[in-house]
Amino acid sequence: MRARTLAAAGAWILAAALSACGPRDHSVIIAVAAPLTGDTGAEGQGIKRAVIMAVEEANASHRFPYHIEAKPFDDRADPKEAVNVANLIISDPRIVAVVGHYTSGCSIPAAKVYARAPIAMISPGATTPEVTLQQTSPDWIGPRVVFRDVATDDVQGAAAARFVYSRLGLRRMALVHDKTPYGQGIAEQFQKTFQELGGTVTSFDGISIGDRDFKALLTKIKDDSSRPQGIYFGGLYTEAGLILVQMRELGMKKNLAFVSDDGAQSPVLYEIAGDAADGAYLTTIGVPVEQLPSARDFLARYKKRWTGASEDIKPFDHFGYEAANIVLDALAKSGPDREKLLAVLPTIRHKGILGETVFDDKGDTLNKIVTMTRAHAKDRSFPTVK
Amino acid sequence: MLAQQIVNGLSLGAIYALIALGYTLVYGILAMINFAHSEVLMMGSFAALGAAALAPSMFGTGVLALAGLFAASMLAAGALNATIERLAYRPLRRHSRLTPLISAIGVSIILQNAVFLWVSDQSLAFPQPLSGDAFTLPGGAQISALQALTLAAALALMVLLHLFVEKTRMGRAMRACADDLEAAGLMGVDADVVIAVTFFVGGALGGAAGVLYSMSYGSTKYNLGFLPGAKAFTAAVLGGIGNVRGAVLGGFLLGFLEVLSAGYIPNGAQWRDVIAFSVLILVLLARPSGLLGERVAEKV
Amino acid sequence: MRRLLSHRHAPALLFAAALTLPFVARAIEFSFLTRVGGVVGLMMLLSLGLNMTLGYVGLFDLGFIAFYAVGAYGTAILMRAHVPAPLAAALAVAAALAMRALLGVTILRLRGDYLAVVTMGFGEIARLTLNNLDAWTNGPKGLQVRPWRPLAFLGAIPGLEFVRKESNVQFYFLIAAAVYLAAEASRRLENSRVGRAWVAIREDETAAQLSGIPVARYKLLAFTLSAAFAGLAGSLFALWDQFVTPESFVFWESTLLVAIVVLGGMGSISGVLLGALLLGGIPLLMEATLSPRLIDYRYLFFGLILVLMTLFRPQGLLPSARREAELSS
Repeated sequence: MRARTLAAAGAWILAAALSACGPRDHSVIIAVAAPLTGDTGAEGQGIKRAVIMAVEEANASHRFPYHIEAKPFDDRADPKEAVNVANLIISDPRIVAVVGHYTSGCSIPAAKVYARAPIAMISPGATTPEVTLQQTSPDWIGPRVVFRDVATDDVQGAAAARFVYSRLGLRRMALVHDKTPYGQGIAEQFQKTFQELGGTVTSFDGISIGDRDFKALLTKIKDDSSRPQGIYFGGLYTEAGLILVQMRELGMKKNLAFVSDDGAQSPVLYEIAGDAADGAYLTTIGVPVEQLPSARDFLARYKKRWTGASEDIKPFDHFGYEAANIVLDALAKSGPDREKLLAVLPTIRHKGILGETVFDDKGDTLNKIVTMTRAHAKDRSFPTVK
Repeated sequence: MLAQQIVNGLSLGAIYALIALGYTLVYGILAMINFAHSEVLMMGSFAALGAAALAPSMFGTGVLALAGLFAASMLAAGALNATIERLAYRPLRRHSRLTPLISAIGVSIILQNAVFLWVSDQSLAFPQPLSGDAFTLPGGAQISALQALTLAAALALMVLLHLFVEKTRMGRAMRACADDLEAAGLMGVDADVVIAVTFFVGGALGGAAGVLYSMSYGSTKYNLGFLPGAKAFTAAVLGGIGNVRGAVLGGFLLGFLEVLSAGYIPNGAQWRDVIAFSVLILVLLARPSGLLGERVAEKV
Repeated sequence: MRRLLSHRHAPALLFAAALTLPFVARAIEFSFLTRVGGVVGLMMLLSLGLNMTLGYVGLFDLGFIAFYAVGAYGTAILMRAHVPAPLAAALAVAAALAMRALLGVTILRLRGDYLAVVTMGFGEIARLTLNNLDAWTNGPKGLQVRPWRPLAFLGAIPGLEFVRKESNVQFYFLIAAAVYLAAEASRRLENSRVGRAWVAIREDETAAQLSGIPVARYKLLAFTLSAAFAGLAGSLFALWDQFVTPESFVFWESTLLVAIVVLGGMGSISGVLLGALLLGGIPLLMEATLSPRLIDYRYLFFGLILVLMTLFRPQGLLPSARREAELSS
C-alpha cells in the first residue's frame, strides 16, 4: 500500500517534471515575476494585470506577426523564491524578457541569474539604488541586464522634502518609515534633503509591516516637545491608511500635515482610511495626469478591463504597464530574441503613460519628474497640487 | 502623554486578551497550539463583513448594527473552529501531540489563500457603526467611542466566559477534561462534545476579537489574523497557557509592553516586538510556567 | 520500501543517484531542476538539523530558522571582510554553534510548548535585529556577497566543461555532499550511546534522569549540534544566492521545517529527507507546471496537501523503526 502510494506520487512528479519541458508552442512570452500570493500578493496581482493588459493591447493592434503572451511567475516577495523563479524563467527559451521583480530584495539576487542567460529584466517596483548599481561592481558576472522604470529612492524623497520646506513652509517634520528597502530608503533621502534645506527632523522611526496599531508612536509624535508640524511617511498605502485613521482618532489631523510617497497612492487607501485620507500629500513619478492624456486613458482602460471586487489599481501598476510596453517596443525593433532585445533596450525612447522613459547607462530611468498630489476622499481621487 | 498611552495600551491589550482566550481554552483541554486560530479570527471578521453586505439596511449605525456584526462573526467563527476540529484535529487525537499542529498549519494556509483568491486580495473597508471621533478624558487623553466599546466588550466577554467555565455544567465538564481527558471520559463526560463546545466557544471569542480588531483599524484583509494571533499566543504563554485569567493578564501586559516601548524608548517603534519577546523570555526564565500557570508534569 | 532503505549501501547509492541530477537536467534542457535539487538539499540539511532537537530529544523548536540566518549573515559579513569563502563558512558555522549553545544554556530548562514559544520569540528577535541593526547588516536593504565558484576546477575534466560556468551545478554538488555527510553523521549519532540517551530523554525525561543520564548536558548537546547543520545550510545559501536580507528568515520558514520533521517522521532520517523532498519540492514543481490561471492556487494546494498528508500518515511518512515499534506494542 505504502509503496504503491509512493510510486504513484513519484509518477505524478515525474510526469509533472516532463510536462514542464515537453513540446512547446511557438508564441513569444513576456514573463511577469511578482509576488502573486503571500503578504504582498495584492501589489503583485496588480502588476500582473497591468502587464496582461499591455500584452492584450499589443496583440489586438496586430503590431506583431506572432502571438505574444504574458506569463505570471510567483516570487512571494521572498528572495529565495525569486531566484528559483528566475532559474525557471531562463530555462524557457520562449521567454524574451522579464517584467519584474517587484521588491528590491527579490530583484537584486534574481538579476544575477538573468545576467547568466542573459535576458533583460525591467523592474516596476524595486527602488533601491543597489538593484542597478550592482551591475557596475567588479563582482558582476555577465552583461548588464537590469532596467527599471521606477525612480530610485532619492528622487521622490528629495522632491517631497523640497515641497514640504518651500511650498508648505514647514520646518519641523517627524519621519516614519516601514522598515522596508523602499520606505526606509525614501525616508532617509527625505531626511537628507530636508536637513540640507535647513529643516529639522524631530524623530525618525521605523514601524513593522503587519502591525496595525501605531497609536503609541503617534502619541509620542503628538506630544513631542520639539513640536513637529507634519509627518512624512515612507511606505505603502496599507500602513499609510492606518496612520491616517489613527492620527484622526488622536486628534492630530487638524494640526499636522501628512506627506507620503507614490506607494501610498492607491484607491485602496480610501478603503482603509476612508475620509481620514482627505488632504494627505502624496508624490508621484511623472508629469501630472491631467497633462498627459495617455495616463488618463490608461486609468479608464484599466477600470474597464479589470472590474473584479479587488481589482482596484495598485501603486505600481503604471510601472508594470509601462515596463511591458517598453519591452514590446524593444521587441518590435529586435524580433523575438533575448540577446537582441537586450541590446536594443538601452536605445529605446518610450513615450507612454509616465511621459518619456529613457534609460541611463546603469539602466535607471531618466524620467525623474515628480508631481505632488493631494488625496480627495469624496471622489476617491488624487488631483495634482498646482 | 502617559494617560493617552494607558488608553492605547488598554485597547490594544483588550484585543490581545480576547484572542489569547481562544488559544488558552483549546490548549487547556488538548494541550495543542491551535495554529489556525488567527485565521478563524480573520474569517469571523469577513463573516461580519459579508453579513453587512447582504443586509446593508440592518447594518447602518447604532447598537443593532453592532449586535449584528458580532452575532455574524461569533457564530461563523465558532462554527468554523468546531468544524476544523472535527475534520482536521479529531482524527489525529491519538497520535503525537505535534501532528494536529501540522494539520492546523495546513488549515491556516488554506483559509488564508481561499480568502485571498475568492474574496479579496486587498484591504476592504469594515463597517463603522460608531463614529471615529475622539472625546477627551480628564488628564487630556483622547478616547474614541470605539476604544471604549473595545474595552467594554472584551471585559464583558471575559466575565461571561468566566461564568460559563465556573458556573455551568458544561463548564465543569470542560474543566474536568482539562484536568484529565481520559478520566473525565470514564466518569461519563462525552469528551467529543466537550471538545467541540470548547472549540466553538474559543472560535466565537476569536470572532468577536476579529470584529473589534477590524473595526478598530477600519479595514480587514486576508492576512489580518496572523500577527495579532502570534502575539496573542505569546500573551497566553506569558500568562500561563491553559489558564483563563493568565491569558487576560498576559494580553493586557503585552499591550502595555508594546505601547510603552514604542512610546518611550528612543527608536522604540521598530524594536517593540524585540522588547516584547525579550520580556517574555525573561518572565519565563523566572517563572517557567508563565505568570499564573501551575507547574504540572509534562504531557507528551 | 523500508527494507530497501535500510540496506547497508542504500545511502551511498542514493547519493550517487542524486549526483546525476544536473546531467539529467542538462539532457532534457531543463536546468531549473538543478536549482530545485539544490533548494531541496538546503531544506534537507535544515530538517536534519531540526530533527536532532525535535526528532531525537523531543525539544520543540519554532525558531530554528534563526540559525540559518546566523550562518547566512555570518558568511556574508565575513566575505565582505575578504575572508576566504571556506573559512567564512567555517566561522559562520562556529558562530551558529556558539549562539545556539548560549541560547540553550539559558532556555533549555523550559519545557514543551514554553520552549516552543521562547524559540519562536528568539527567531523573531533575530530577524528584527538583522532588520534594525543597519550599521552591521545594512538593514532591510540586505548584504551582497561576492561570487564564489567552489568547483570551477571540475570544468577541466572532459565532459564536465559546462560545470565551470554553472554555479547552480557547483552548489548542487556541494549541497548534495553536505546532505550526505549530515545524514551519515546523524545516523552514527543515532546509533551511538549519545543517541540512545537522547531517545531515553525523549521518551521519559524523569526515568532517564533516574537511570543516571545527565539529562541537561545531553539536551544541550543535541540542541547545540543541530545548529551546525542550520549554520552550514545558511552559509551555502548566502554563497549561492550572493545576497542576504532579513526577508528570507521569516517565521513561516521555521514552521515549515517543523512540518517537514513531523510529517517525515520524527527521528527518522529517511523520513525527514523524504519530507523535505516533498514539502520543499512540491511548491517548486507546481510553479513550473501549473497553468498561468492556476499559479495563484499554489499555496492553497500546498495547504491541502499538508492537511491530507497528516490525516493519511499521522505517524509520519517513514516513521523511525524504533518509534513505530513503541507505538505498535
